[in-house]
Amino acid sequence: MNIDHIKKEFPIFDEKIQNNDLVYLDSANSSQKPKIVVDRINEFYTKQFSNVGRSVHYLAVAATNLYENTRTSMQRYINAKDKNEIVFTKGATEALNLVANTLGQNYLKEGDEVLITELEHHSNYVPWHFLRKSKNIKINFAEINEVGEVTLEEIEKKITPKTKIISITHLSNVTGAILPVKEITDMAHSKGIIVVVDGCQGAPHLKLDMQDLDCDFYAISCHKMYGPTGLGVLYGKKKWLEELPPYQGGGGMINEVKKDRITYGDLPNKYEAGTMATAQVIAFDQSIKFLESIGIENIMKHEAELIEYGQELLQKNNSVKLLGNPKNKGGVLSFILEGVHPHDIATILDEDGVAIRAGHHCCQILHDKLDIPASARASVGVYNTKEDLDQLNDSINNCKKIFNLK
Amino acid sequence: MNLKELYQEIILEHGKNPRNLRKTENFNKDAKGNNPLCGDNVHVYLKLNGQKIVEDISFEGSGCAISMASASIMTDLIKGKNEHEAKEIVEDFLGMIKENPELKSENLKEDEKTKLMCLSGVKQYPMRVKCATLSWHTLVSAFDNKREEIKTEN
Repeated sequence: MNIDHIKKEFPIFDEKIQNNDLVYLDSANSSQKPKIVVDRINEFYTKQFSNVGRSVHYLAVAATNLYENTRTSMQRYINAKDKNEIVFTKGATEALNLVANTLGQNYLKEGDEVLITELEHHSNYVPWHFLRKSKNIKINFAEINEVGEVTLEEIEKKITPKTKIISITHLSNVTGAILPVKEITDMAHSKGIIVVVDGCQGAPHLKLDMQDLDCDFYAISCHKMYGPTGLGVLYGKKKWLEELPPYQGGGGMINEVKKDRITYGDLPNKYEAGTMATAQVIAFDQSIKFLESIGIENIMKHEAELIEYGQELLQKNNSVKLLGNPKNKGGVLSFILEGVHPHDIATILDEDGVAIRAGHHCCQILHDKLDIPASARASVGVYNTKEDLDQLNDSINNCKKIFNLK
Repeated sequence: MNLKELYQEIILEHGKNPRNLRKTENFNKDAKGNNPLCGDNVHVYLKLNGQKIVEDISFEGSGCAISMASASIMTDLIKGKNEHEAKEIVEDFLGMIKENPELKSENLKEDEKTKLMCLSGVKQYPMRVKCATLSWHTLVSAFDNKREEIKTEN
């Protein structure tokens, strides 16, 4: 599939948004959906629907096979060693809550330390905060440097004899910094520390190889990977998923239930209690195939070109200040405009059909550190073009005009 | 949709140079407001005299042009009014931002109404209504001495 013509695979770009062509620069928040994914949901509900894993009738068996096919595709896509290392969740948030909760139950004791970074999204901080409250653990923060990245050396510096877990983002949703996860994991494992990775921004934009990366857990958000909402994936090393307790109790996750005892099911059922997001899982197989048909290397090259182009454009625009300038940067351009609040920027850009995010992007710790209440963020996906970034720059100039800036 | 209606000169001016952006000395009532979705926050301070007349009103906080201008204009209008009048003006303003075509309050002079109507452009931008109303909800909370923080989500 040729990346230059990819926009036409996405029906939303045929729509007029308030009489404008859509310039969608909010993919770090959520990506748009290709037609094959939308169609697959419709097809499943129209022609093939059944719940999975419970009944023996024809539709149930067929649906179960389709559901499991996605697990196999995901295993292939992230090169996990075992299919049962893929657990479906309702999102990356639930995946991270699952990890924190179960490690908290079985592994962490009072006084133990979890090391995260100042770049973390709230979903990779708040679940650990719960343990700070319930188990009296301590949370330490690795700090960003002047270009908005967290280095291996900084992580190593913040490790103490009590550090049991390092939980870090793969790619910052604000500064775009790509963390050296493989090196951090190697170093952490040499000290017996577990590594959890928030891969929300990593999974849609980077080549993933779990066996090479070697982290213990990796959380993925499917709706940022051109897939349906309400779905995430937790990759966990088999030894951990076998050892840790279940997260939620209910149907589907049990082995045997008696009045005086309950035994739990095997992987991956142990972590998939209740009726799962069946249609979403089945349609997500099409998202994986869509990404594979373009090739992640081509996507990475395309997005790197876009970010380089956008960065140059905005750097030349006086009044615009980009947040962070990491050496290794993924698909986001966060910025502030001296004298214009990000919400005003977002409203004015919206008038031209340019969709960006304004606010703290669920990263209040980072914005406090940068000493700004909020920022504007343009983020790219596979469908964006240099023309989109030209329009972004033109609309920023319109903001400056309205606010009488030079 | 009309950006010119939203970002009128008077809004931009108040947004840039907000009036009463300070902390009242010897305030006797205050309240905090917060918009957790976007991070806007405001702290309103009141100094009421024995007759419950607002001798001084001020605010601290940060936010977009709309929220800063709204707080700025509000503090200008409320100074000198008594609690009853002030609350009636808040009701009138919130009614106008929601649905009413104009302000009805008898406690506002015509030129004050004209100034306040500059915020009516927000009506066309549902996502921005909260920016305009945060400081007003917080003002009521300060009068009522409610200790919990006002959140626009409520």
